[in-house]
Amino acid sequence: MASLRSLTGVFGLSFLLASCGGSGEGERQQADSLATVQETPGTEVFGIGGKLFSVPSPTQTALAIRKAGLKYQKELTAPLEKGDAVSGKAAQATLLGVFGADLSYVTVHKDGQRALATMQAVERLGGRLELTNAFDRALLDRFKSSMGNEDSLLRLSGVAFRAADQYLKNSDRDDVSALVLTGGWIESMHLSLADPAAMKDKVLMARVGEQKKTLAGLVELLTATDKEGAAVALIAGLKDLSAEFEKITIAYKFEPPVTDADAKTTFINSTVAVEIPAEQLTSITAKVAALRNMILA
Amino acid sequence: MTRTLSLALLLTASATTQAQSLCQSIASRCEAHITTNYIPDGQFYRALLQGDETAEFQLTLFGGTTYRIAACSGDSDGILLFSVFDQERNLLYTNKDHHNAPFWDLTIANTIDVIIEANLDPTKAGSGCAVMLMGFKK
Repeated sequence: MASLRSLTGVFGLSFLLASCGGSGEGERQQADSLATVQETPGTEVFGIGGKLFSVPSPTQTALAIRKAGLKYQKELTAPLEKGDAVSGKAAQATLLGVFGADLSYVTVHKDGQRALATMQAVERLGGRLELTNAFDRALLDRFKSSMGNEDSLLRLSGVAFRAADQYLKNSDRDDVSALVLTGGWIESMHLSLADPAAMKDKVLMARVGEQKKTLAGLVELLTATDKEGAAVALIAGLKDLSAEFEKITIAYKFEPPVTDADAKTTFINSTVAVEIPAEQLTSITAKVAALRNMILA
Repeated sequence: MTRTLSLALLLTASATTQAQSLCQSIASRCEAHITTNYIPDGQFYRALLQGDETAEFQLTLFGGTTYRIAACSGDSDGILLFSVFDQERNLLYTNKDHHNAPFWDLTIANTIDVIIEANLDPTKAGSGCAVMLMGFKK
């Protein structure tokens, strides 16, 4: 009977761990539940991918930069040789995210040569992080054969990073996944803010301010996944940056959505007004630069 | 005691592997809904659900963009229900009103923070892996 009870407990443990996406996520599960207090009693909540939010794709930011008409500056991207020099899982993962954002930036600005070189750097760095399932020679070959077709390149890149994210989460390497996302987000912010001309573009600056919630989520995600303490300095820097974002005001007004069932599309028309005080923008720019320097140090 | 611990580890590893394998096949099917008109967002979202459990995630959708959300579970389309709310919990969309559609497009006029809740259709599944994928149009 005692054995049976043990077996029952063990099976329950196995199911619980599997439900959380793998061993080691139990504590995170608890954190997720705490973050969703609005749930009705008795309804359990599981974070998708171990955490309850998504980070906007760096490709969207790159497209916004292009739309703003800012001059393409290759020198704003990270030095690719850094990928061969950086050591340690956390530093490699964060840099992989940086390269991913740069890949989107150079691709949407039609710098094919730099895009290929960046993809090669991604492949090498991905290999060091044991992500050859996502970044391999076959991907490079497809990338080369799609040169000149921006949509195909962006899609290939998105599929590869999604495959890497899937592999990391399935391998219980959520910490690495979170660091890749963080690196990509910081680089996207850097590319948005590094050119002083960007400050004059209200739409682009609003896009920066609209990421207040994303940043708060990133801090939560990193804090929950950084079991080895590899990202302590990064988290501290992001929290410092988050304090500046808290001074941004976002006024939201709900408008009823309109659905076109035949087109399988819903049009979401709610409005939002973002206000970023000038001093906050200056401070955010400086803190993003400091975070990026930390990654590239 | 040692034997019990070994069994625990074995069962844990087995259950985890089975769960991952389950999610993998669903993900492969779900990817087909993010067609070539959309750029994948580079992230993979999954959860294992049982009974009336709800998976929830928060995301920011940028203005001027059309997103495609694909939601899959089980061995066919229409098993995963998903609903989109704004931060004030106003319902923006639910596939319950559209025959459990496995994918839907959201065209965003202005940037909005949303919450997506997903759960299994109790008439079709009692437990399973929920996979959500997202792409966007340029």
